[in-house]
Amino acid sequence: MMKKIFEKFWSIAGAVSVCTKILGIVLGSTLLLGTGVIFQARAAFQATMMRLLEEQSISAARDLAARAADPILLNDLVYLQNLLDETVKNSPNVRYAFLLDPQGQIIAHTFHGGFPLALLSLNTVAATSHHHTVLIRTNEGLVWDTAVPILNRKVGIARVGVTDLSVQRVLSELTLQLGLTMLVVSVAGILVAALLTLILTRPIQELLQATREVAKGNFAVRVKRWADDELGDLADAFNQMSEQLALTENLRREREWLRRQLLEKVIASQEEERRRIARELHDSTSQNLTSLIVGLRMIEENCRQCPAQPKALELRAVASRTLEEVHELSLRLRPRILDDLGLAAALERLAAEWEARYKIPIDVAIRLNERLPGAVETAIYRIVQEALTNIVRHAQAHSASILIERRGNMLRAIIEDDGIGFDPQTRFGEHHLGLLGMRERAELLGGKLVIESAPGAGTSLLIEIPLSTLSSE
Amino acid sequence: MLTFITLLVIACVPTQKLTIAGNVDLNDLQPLATPANRQTSALRVAIAAVISPKGTVESYAPLLRYLEEKLNRPVELIQRRTYMEINDLIAHGQVDMAFVCTSAYIQGHDTFGMELLVAPQVNGKTTYNSFLIVPANSLARSMADLRGKVFAFTDPISLSGRVYPTYLVQQLGFTPEEFFSRTFYTYSHDEAIRAIASGLADGAAVDSLVYAFMLERDPALREKLKVIHTSPDFGIPPVVVNPAIRPQIKHELKSILLEMANDAAAQEALKSIGVERFVPISDEIYQSARELMRTLLLFNQP
Repeated sequence: MMKKIFEKFWSIAGAVSVCTKILGIVLGSTLLLGTGVIFQARAAFQATMMRLLEEQSISAARDLAARAADPILLNDLVYLQNLLDETVKNSPNVRYAFLLDPQGQIIAHTFHGGFPLALLSLNTVAATSHHHTVLIRTNEGLVWDTAVPILNRKVGIARVGVTDLSVQRVLSELTLQLGLTMLVVSVAGILVAALLTLILTRPIQELLQATREVAKGNFAVRVKRWADDELGDLADAFNQMSEQLALTENLRREREWLRRQLLEKVIASQEEERRRIARELHDSTSQNLTSLIVGLRMIEENCRQCPAQPKALELRAVASRTLEEVHELSLRLRPRILDDLGLAAALERLAAEWEARYKIPIDVAIRLNERLPGAVETAIYRIVQEALTNIVRHAQAHSASILIERRGNMLRAIIEDDGIGFDPQTRFGEHHLGLLGMRERAELLGGKLVIESAPGAGTSLLIEIPLSTLSSE
Repeated sequence: MLTFITLLVIACVPTQKLTIAGNVDLNDLQPLATPANRQTSALRVAIAAVISPKGTVESYAPLLRYLEEKLNRPVELIQRRTYMEINDLIAHGQVDMAFVCTSAYIQGHDTFGMELLVAPQVNGKTTYNSFLIVPANSLARSMADLRGKVFAFTDPISLSGRVYPTYLVQQLGFTPEEFFSRTFYTYSHDEAIRAIASGLADGAAVDSLVYAFMLERDPALREKLKVIHTSPDFGIPPVVVNPAIRPQIKHELKSILLEMANDAAAQEALKSIGVERFVPISDEIYQSARELMRTLLLFNQP
């Protein structure tokens, strides 16, 4: 039950802003305290005033009894009437006063035009008592009625009634005053709370802004320490964290740069090695094999009847096949055409050989008017080479296309197939398909690689590499 | 926390439980029944304001109770501010028996035949005097020294309180209005004594019996007062009856009062009014007072 109430409360109190919470605290406390004070003051005041009224009733009745004794004995009714009227007139709380003779007959009273007879029996007093006071409920409020014996009741009884009308009036005024005070205090409280809220939420707002900046990667942002409190400590901690993050980020960038440098060197030396091996194969191994073939043909032609003639024929065929393989190997390692005639020619030849070998039609569109920087040509060539390998290995495609074009300072390459596709979200796919290597090649040149693919919807690779930064290098 | 304290405070306020004795509509006014005719069978006794009304009630209550028992009928006490009002009540038959002052008796006897019943005997005498009293620290030694002072009279027709001091002033050749700077009436002898004791007046003439009675009751007064002149003896204030009273009742009352001294049950009543016994009395004893009043009247009416 309590938990439910608390949850309900929290769902409301937790949802509002800090400003509203503080205002709620201030206003709630003020109202609660104010209401409590009003109730308390009213109760205390009423209790005190009722006691005072009782005392006033007693003193008025005692006074009347003392002053009425002689006039009653002397039967001075005019004087008695004046005495009663003055008793009522001179003290605003006295509602009525009257005198009874020892037989209980009314001698004189202050009601005009009759007497509320019900009053008579409500109070009386013993002859030897000092006084007897009772509380009577009347149509005009509560009345403290005091009876005082005059000369041990030998002369009679004096009775005086004191109403609480004035007390009720003062009580209403008091309540109103306290209520107004509470209102003023509440307004002041709201102002103070607004100020406090400003003081409290401003650093929080700033911290929020700064946190968003950091999230964006701006580690230089710092917050001001507003006050020597928890929020101040939070600001300090935040600044420390930002500094630490900035340091870490710098370190990371440095490492990344080193890694790229290293990668670049690896790739460059790899290319160089391939080129050297390819040249070696072409220049030396191919020449030797060619010499071998020429030698074997000469053996064939000069010794037609020799028993070794068939063997020479056979060896010549092996040598020719090996020459072809060496040729192909050299081409794959580093096509000379790429260095000699450029990317367009190299790719067209690559595509033609690929189409011929795997029997998958490929559409090549290359719109380049000039040679590109060597690094870019090599990267694009290798990326296309890898992509075509992937298509053969995984895509089960029926056709493929290559588009290379220059758009302003941006080189753009799109390699597409209509194969089975894959889900690019799975990182497994990226690693497995050698996409990471392709992406790294693109990124090393400040470019990017975007894969668009879905199972059953083919695969599309978009590579963009800026040319301006390279030309300025 | 604040909330908790507030609630605690509210809870701790003692809720004063007030018992209501009853409900009344103060605007529900009804005509008062005319008071039932005052006990017609009651014996109506008037007591002149020799001492103040409250003092009278206290002093005479035992005597009145005694009479009620003896007569086996209620006794109603009637008091008035002045002696003349009592005399009027007696003259009009509204009072059966009365304790009056000497001068009131003479006035009543000479105008409508007020009848003597008995007289109280005090210190073995049926006479009393007028004491001229002044504050204890006063330098006055006779009436002559009170010229230009404030003087308190008791009742306009009191022998000891007004007639005799007026007589003394006249002997000096003045009227009281000329002689004193200011005069006022206290309407009873005990109030006159208190007026001197409190310094309200510089001089007053009072009934010697009341003076002795007051001093006995309140010994502190001895320190504050002194008597500088004593009048000749006058007949003591008597108990009188209405001339129209039935003779049997007059006789019954007289015998009860005369027998009181021999009745153990009556001692408290006698002691309360400072009387030893009631004795028969004749009009002669009041002759000196009557003459004094006549002189004064002659003097008063140029």
